Amino acid sequence: MKKVLLLLSMVALMPSGAGVLAAPAAAAPSLIEQAEAARKEADALGFEWRDTSKLIKSANEALDKGQKEESDKLASLALLQSRAAIAQAKSTAKNWKMMIPK
Amino acid sequence: MKKTIQRRLLTGALVLMTALVTKPAHAVNYQALVDADVKKFQGYFRKEFPDVKFEDYGDGVYALDEDARKQWKEMEEFPPYELDVEAGKALFNKPFANGKSLASCFPNGGAVRGNYPYFDEKRKQVVTLEMAINECRVANGEKPYPGFKGDLAKVSAYMAYISRGQKIDVKVKSAAAYNAYMKGKAFFYGKRGQLNMSCSGCHMEYAGRHLRAEIMSPALGHTTHFPVFRSKWGEIGTLHKRYEGCNDNIGAKPFEEQSEEYRDLEFFQTIMSNGLKFNGPAARK
Repeated sequence: MKKVLLLLSMVALMPSGAGVLAAPAAAAPSLIEQAEAARKEADALGFEWRDTSKLIKSANEALDKGQKEESDKLASLALLQSRAAIAQAKSTAKNWKMMIPK
Repeated sequence: MKKTIQRRLLTGALVLMTALVTKPAHAVNYQALVDADVKKFQGYFRKEFPDVKFEDYGDGVYALDEDARKQWKEMEEFPPYELDVEAGKALFNKPFANGKSLASCFPNGGAVRGNYPYFDEKRKQVVTLEMAINECRVANGEKPYPGFKGDLAKVSAYMAYISRGQKIDVKVKSAAAYNAYMKGKAFFYGKRGQLNMSCSGCHMEYAGRHLRAEIMSPALGHTTHFPVFRSKWGEIGTLHKRYEGCNDNIGAKPFEEQSEEYRDLEFFQTIMSNGLKFNGPAARK
């Protein structure tokens, strides 16, 4: 009886057959993909910064040349710019009336 | 009979009461809201520069700096935009493939600078002079002029030239127009770009002060004198080209020529200069 219970509990704890056979979980988005998504969001808000697209383009070019470290550096900067632009858009939408000189 | 009369009176009273209850609140006077803004805006410059005459704001930065004004006056004796005005006149009268021309679209021989920008209540958008020029071309089967400079700026310069002296008096008559005005206003005062700067930061708070070697121009009067021939560009360009340059300078991605953002900004800025006269085209550094 004990053996049966042990076997049943092991089966219950095992990953399902479907899960084992399924494709591995999608890879996390690359830095370039993250930067591009954030850039699009900033652009939709009308607040994209001037150089963000160029940085992403350069990151892609560096990756094509096999310069992963350089590519990551550029993509990180583009991501940082886009996040700052999104924050700027939100802050401006909330506070622009306070910026009217008296 | 008596009951019928009583019933009708009661029904009438109910209809009247319903009408009174559901009557909308007093309609918003958008023009009054805008006029109050204009008063504050122009008052700011009167306070900052008490010696500058109101009509001189149409001369941009040359209203503030006497030395630069003298140099500019000399430059205006042989204005660098003269050839562009001539070219614009030729383009204005040049027949399209269908035999019509730009002259067919505009009354008063094209001396209509004072009618633009305006809010088109049917299309619910701001229409600028450059937009109207290109819409005329498209309506007649021609391609629109490419933006910011070139032929578009030349035609606009000619139309501005023959409209000199027309008074700026842009109206805001509806909620939709006020919405466009407010978008332009938010753009003007909102900080953007890598340098986190706004139009008002440079052209209100910093107007008349040096930014490196340049004196910042006052926002009052900004839209009176476009298109301008800038020495820096070496050619004539539209107001939206200047907006593009400003956005680029502060590290923001510029918008397209005649984008909704720039048209709303032009609408707001022109309203702030209500009372001044159109005096374009002009020469600038």
